[in-house]
Amino acid sequence: MAELIQYFPLALTIPNLLTLVLGVIGGLILGATPGLSPTMAVALLVPFTFHMNPITGLILLGAVYTATVAGGAISAILINIPGAPANIATLLDGHPMAKQGKSQKALYMCFISSLIGGLFGMLIMILFTPPMAKIALKFGPSEMFWVAIFGITVMAGLSSGSIAKGLFGGMFGLLISTIGYSPMLGVPRFVFHDVLIGGVAIVPALIGLFAIPQVYSLTEKLYTQIERPDYKPQKGILLKTVIENLKMVKALGIGSIVGTIIGVIPGAGGQVSGLIAYDQARKFSKKPQDFGKGNPEGVVAAESANNAMVGPSLIPLLTLSIPGSPTAAVLLGGLLIHGLFPGPDLFLNNASITYAFIASLVLAQVAMCIFGLIMSRYSYMVMSVPNLYMIAAVTVLAVYGTYSVQNSFADVVVMFSLGTLMYIGNKFGFSAAPVVLGIILGPIAEDNFLKGKLIAETDVGVFSYFFNGPMNLVIILLCAVSIGYSIYGEIKTIKKAKEG
Amino acid sequence: MKKDLIVSLILLAGSMALYASLSLMEEPAAASFPRVVIVIMGCLGLALCVQAILAKQRHERAVLQSNHVADSGKERNDSAAAKKFPFGTLVVCFVMILVYFVVMEKLGFYVSAFLFFIILTFVLGRKDLTLRQGAVQIGIAFIFTAVLFLLFNKLLVVQTPKGLLF
Repeated sequence: MAELIQYFPLALTIPNLLTLVLGVIGGLILGATPGLSPTMAVALLVPFTFHMNPITGLILLGAVYTATVAGGAISAILINIPGAPANIATLLDGHPMAKQGKSQKALYMCFISSLIGGLFGMLIMILFTPPMAKIALKFGPSEMFWVAIFGITVMAGLSSGSIAKGLFGGMFGLLISTIGYSPMLGVPRFVFHDVLIGGVAIVPALIGLFAIPQVYSLTEKLYTQIERPDYKPQKGILLKTVIENLKMVKALGIGSIVGTIIGVIPGAGGQVSGLIAYDQARKFSKKPQDFGKGNPEGVVAAESANNAMVGPSLIPLLTLSIPGSPTAAVLLGGLLIHGLFPGPDLFLNNASITYAFIASLVLAQVAMCIFGLIMSRYSYMVMSVPNLYMIAAVTVLAVYGTYSVQNSFADVVVMFSLGTLMYIGNKFGFSAAPVVLGIILGPIAEDNFLKGKLIAETDVGVFSYFFNGPMNLVIILLCAVSIGYSIYGEIKTIKKAKEG
Repeated sequence: MKKDLIVSLILLAGSMALYASLSLMEEPAAASFPRVVIVIMGCLGLALCVQAILAKQRHERAVLQSNHVADSGKERNDSAAAKKFPFGTLVVCFVMILVYFVVMEKLGFYVSAFLFFIILTFVLGRKDLTLRQGAVQIGIAFIFTAVLFLLFNKLLVVQTPKGLLF
């Protein structure tokens, strides 16, 4: 906490505050735009932060990450399409409220609840991240190797309908990370063309895998008509709504606590936290029958939960490189391009950057609420942007962002090829997040695998080294639980489908 | 189901081909990590193959049990959905992006981005194109490129492919 107070002023400089405000406004707009995923928005921004100083760059990414989660509620409430998976529970009562002519009230409640939940989650993050980082200090090569594998198993289960497809994606990502010259032996691997000599860098991979499939899917839906937003302005209701919102202590409490707990569990994600909080709020409500018919408590519980998840989801990311969501995986890419490696090093050698980043996340929650409240009156306009302009803008930004990091046209080719391949993969049920995480964690996994192998060959043998020791066994068990839980979920879905 | 089976067989064959390519590496030690990864990929490809076969069998059993009329109706719907898939539009988009890359090296980033924005919106949006709409599209393309130029070229001094004009 002392370090946070010490470095807090770094987030308060004029350029950083300006970046934060721009990031929040941009995040709210991108989150509210149907068809643009928050993950893609953060991925497109990563290369631009490369040209900023690390603190400013990370503040921008953190602000966009925070605001897109809340911004996604705007389209959920107004047109019944969640801007992000985290906002699925919001639409259950948010959209019925809009249909009753209470869209503005629903939007106000969404931002106020997001602030309260978000600040609660940030507090937990501030308290628990540094001690967790100290635990990571005890990790040797074998533990670090298993942590990387655990990250992939978590993401594989989270983002794919099929765990086998998710794991295949993760392994494919690991394999992509080995393209180019071997870091230890200096020999070329899988260099089938000149553009692959330098390997596949993080930025082209991030942008290609998230932005290019989005370009194609926007093209697919080029002529799809979006429902007209249910927006009816109501004057002078802000103060009344704030008071009414603060009185919903039970819904706020349930949302904040559930969101925080789910956020800490790697891979559980905002979608789950919103839905569980919504379900619990309904169970504890005196009028459960009103849920789904425009009960404000439903919006409050869901929104406080999905923003409470933001801070805690960064605990495993900043300490162990395990992102809690696809967007957090992209954020990890943002840290790495600035030479910041998650773990104790982040808090010891890069304390100023890390704590300024954490401070900015707290500020981003406040800014998100203020600008969300202001912009909610005009947010429906965002939903009128035609897909056509988004296709052109996303493509140009993707090319620009990819080229600008290393001034390499080869990177642009790699980005576009990976993106087109991922789009085809999406059609067959594969998702981008495990592939991206495989590419990001690949060097960590390989480096620690080879180090561990060298140590093991002179000591107890490779198998004993990697499969012995309490830490190794705990992480291996977590990997098995993560895969087992996903398989259990798949079997349950098949059984349900059979019965249905 | 059939689609999944084909995909899993492709993945399996791909993994085998990649494994075979490991023997071409100059230094066998450099292949140790990729070898482990490829073997796991192969196993997952096999698992997907088994999964697809089991799913196919389940589907066939369900079809036998269910009403054939309803099923043929579903097939008709499936083929109708397949017909609606805008394959042509996607190919046009793909080709235009490729042309954009080629042109970018000759004309420079900003000029090619401006032209790409206009041509893409004109071609993909040709159904609703009017004189007014066209003027709006050119205006938006100009503003978008100008903002990129001012923000990144002047403010952040980011390098971009240079061409005839910029």
